[in-house]
Amino acid sequence: MSLSHPLTLIVLLPLAGFLLNGLLGNRLGKTFVSAVGCGLPILAFAVTVKCFLLLQASGAAALLDKAYTWAAIGGSSFEVSFYFDVLSAVMALIVTGVGSLIHVYSIGYMKDDESYARYFAYLNLFLFFMLLLVLGRSLLVLFVGWEGVGLASYLLIGFWFEDPIKASAGKKAFITNRIGDAGFLLGMFLLYQTLGTLDADRINAAFMGPALPAVSASLVGILLFIGACGKSAQIPLHVWLPDAMAGPTPVSALIHAATMVTAGVYMVSRMSGLYLHAPEASAVIAAIGVMTAFFAATIAIAQTDIKKVLAYSTISQLGFMFVAAGVGAYSVAIFHLYTHAFFKACLFLGAGSVIHALGGEQDIRKMGGLARRIPVTFATFAIATAAIAGIPPLAGFFSKDEILWYAFASERGGSPLLFIVAAATALLTAFYMFRLLWLTFFGRSRMSAEVEHHVHESPLSMTGVLVVLAVLSAIGGFLALPHFLEPLLPLPPVVPPLEHFETPLMAVSVAIAFAGLAGAAFVYGGDGGRAEALRRRFAGLYRLLSAKYYVDEAYEALIGRPLVWISDRVFLRLGDQKIIDGTLHGFAALARRTAGGLTRVQNGSLQFYALLLLIGIVASLAWSFRHG
Amino acid sequence: MLIATSVALFALGLAGVIVRRNVLVMLMCMELMLNGVNLSLVTFAQQSASAVGAVLVFLIFVVAAAEIAIAIPIVLLLVRRKDALDLDLYADLKG
Amino acid sequence: MIETWLLWLFAATALVAAGLMLVLRHPMRVALALTATMLSLAGVYALLGVHVIAIFQVLIYVGAIMVFMIYAIMLLDVRDRSYTRRFSRLLAPGIAAAVVLVGVLVLAVWRALPAPNGSGAGSLFALQRFSVEFLNEYWLHFELVSVLLVAAVVAAVAVLETGRRNRG
Repeated sequence: MSLSHPLTLIVLLPLAGFLLNGLLGNRLGKTFVSAVGCGLPILAFAVTVKCFLLLQASGAAALLDKAYTWAAIGGSSFEVSFYFDVLSAVMALIVTGVGSLIHVYSIGYMKDDESYARYFAYLNLFLFFMLLLVLGRSLLVLFVGWEGVGLASYLLIGFWFEDPIKASAGKKAFITNRIGDAGFLLGMFLLYQTLGTLDADRINAAFMGPALPAVSASLVGILLFIGACGKSAQIPLHVWLPDAMAGPTPVSALIHAATMVTAGVYMVSRMSGLYLHAPEASAVIAAIGVMTAFFAATIAIAQTDIKKVLAYSTISQLGFMFVAAGVGAYSVAIFHLYTHAFFKACLFLGAGSVIHALGGEQDIRKMGGLARRIPVTFATFAIATAAIAGIPPLAGFFSKDEILWYAFASERGGSPLLFIVAAATALLTAFYMFRLLWLTFFGRSRMSAEVEHHVHESPLSMTGVLVVLAVLSAIGGFLALPHFLEPLLPLPPVVPPLEHFETPLMAVSVAIAFAGLAGAAFVYGGDGGRAEALRRRFAGLYRLLSAKYYVDEAYEALIGRPLVWISDRVFLRLGDQKIIDGTLHGFAALARRTAGGLTRVQNGSLQFYALLLLIGIVASLAWSFRHG
Repeated sequence: MLIATSVALFALGLAGVIVRRNVLVMLMCMELMLNGVNLSLVTFAQQSASAVGAVLVFLIFVVAAAEIAIAIPIVLLLVRRKDALDLDLYADLKG
Repeated sequence: MIETWLLWLFAATALVAAGLMLVLRHPMRVALALTATMLSLAGVYALLGVHVIAIFQVLIYVGAIMVFMIYAIMLLDVRDRSYTRRFSRLLAPGIAAAVVLVGVLVLAVWRALPAPNGSGAGSLFALQRFSVEFLNEYWLHFELVSVLLVAAVVAAVAVLETGRRNRG
């Protein structure tokens, strides 16, 4: 079977799922919704695999699929076309593959929810937009997908919108994203103005070509990166991701771990031609990436909600990806994206399984001793934790090691400082992840009796997916993705004198992983007394970290409240009420006063009227003199 | 001259209408105005030897009589209602 | 000669009496001043040779209208504020405007004045000739005026009926 427009088909399948489930789902029952909601993404995955095979067969040429012409304005035309090269192939496979797995998981997780059809409709909608994003040829289509996933994220974070806190978490995500999008739009405008096209491959060719375009690549790079900061939760626009944990856990797994938040990394890698010629922008990316990674890791140590730990962990890992992109190792960033999708999705879904088992409890201080009671969840969670900590030979080790190596030795921005901060972050990562594992699954049970009574393993639809993802986290690293992406995204050259540091650094990263493991076991093992003592000794620091460095409060005080003040005082009271309403009222008052003044002519006094008559006669006679 | 006299009579009548407070005096001043006009009409009729002027004067007599015949009863009734002859108090049609 | 002198006398009397009208306090005295003005004007008409009009002036104006006026004044002898304070608030503007009016009107008439052919067609206004011409040429006006009089009668009756009804 050969398809004429395979890429369009991939994109449209989830859209069909959204429409069917959205319009008919409530009427046709849960089985229909599950079948359509999971079946169509799985079908999309199958088509993606087919396209991938086609791509391999065709050698170097990318697949191109023109869907339709959106607008033809003047001399330029804006088309909706889809582009499939090795980079999009990797992304599309991750999106459809992991996405399908999470759809299947959701069948079990959301079984008892009454808005079952709406959930799957939104999830399919998200998949549609994400595929637009990764498969779009022009930045315009990418941007449509970019905004669309923001919309889907808002809808899904605020899925249980009757709770105002959850609803406002959705709002926060959307608004923070929008702020980043302003930068993205400016970057797009600059590119279009200079190059006359928004097609990603053409832009890259223009920058890699003989003559550099007449626009500052760094400026465009930074503007586009601002958008990526918003989407991928880097400083200073990271504040929405922890709050986004208010949504259902599979949503957190899909959107805020595996796919949507990685859109920023994908975008930077897609625009590699641009960023290779923008050293300042790349330096900014690396700096922000490493700062965010470290910052988020420190916060994660002191969090007590299982999903919040994972959220900050995601922010931190995204920072790692941007470090790699900032030093020119785009393929390594994508490699980490790929492994991260597996183990983070596994972690989130495992957390969802734990929450499901405990009937809704999310505070890790009230967990413990679950290892024997929910063994499958425990085993998969442990494997994924080891993967993220970087323990060889699991997937995370390979990608993280590559990042640390290039952070140290890349000719395009690698430095010892970058390496040290990144390594410290890796240490912290291992520490807090194992802390999470210990507090949740080991030790004495700190659960209430009633919760403990109901602890049960999750159904097969959930544990099956967990097993698949754990296996992928284990063996996924052996697929040498950077080598696979080499033709499109070459690895950066290494500073020659440092070349022989490669093996020692690998040993260092292994040591870091095990040190983190040991540290967590030491502090949190046993009865937890040492943890308590540590917390008391560093009480101030602990408070700062668990309050997330008071960033939200700072934003509220520095930005939120002044804005509200300005809106209230300046725009509402001064502008709207005094000036606009005042002008209108002023006109009305003017009319009223004029009328009032003129009314005094009609005072009812006959003599006054006679006087006016007299004056009128005199005036008209006098007037008649002027004209003889 | 006579024309000046008639103009003066007319102006005096109009001034009286405006200036005096008593209703009846005001009515009489209106009669004065009519008389002034009559004088000018007669003067012109006599000067240009046409009968039109005299006819008009005749008609004005009739009109003045009719007007007074109606005005006085109206004033009578009004004054009985308000019990005052002061024109300042008859500002009911104000506004 | 004496005619011109008498003419001036009667005209002056009319003016003086008219001026007095504005100044006198009691309405009865004002009515007498008006009567004086009307009689002087009747004299002026007679001196001009328009005897018809002079007669009718005395008959209608003085004889009917002023008598009616005096009856009304006698009936409404209300000594209210208008008795003590003669002038309204518009005294100054009224007088000023009247003076200006006199000036403007005289100016206007002076400019447009046709050359007086002061021949004075005396016989034109002899009673018999005047009546014949009046009812020959202007009979329509005559009839219309009689309709006006009927209307006036009806109005007067209506006013009185309303008044009677109001008083119960």
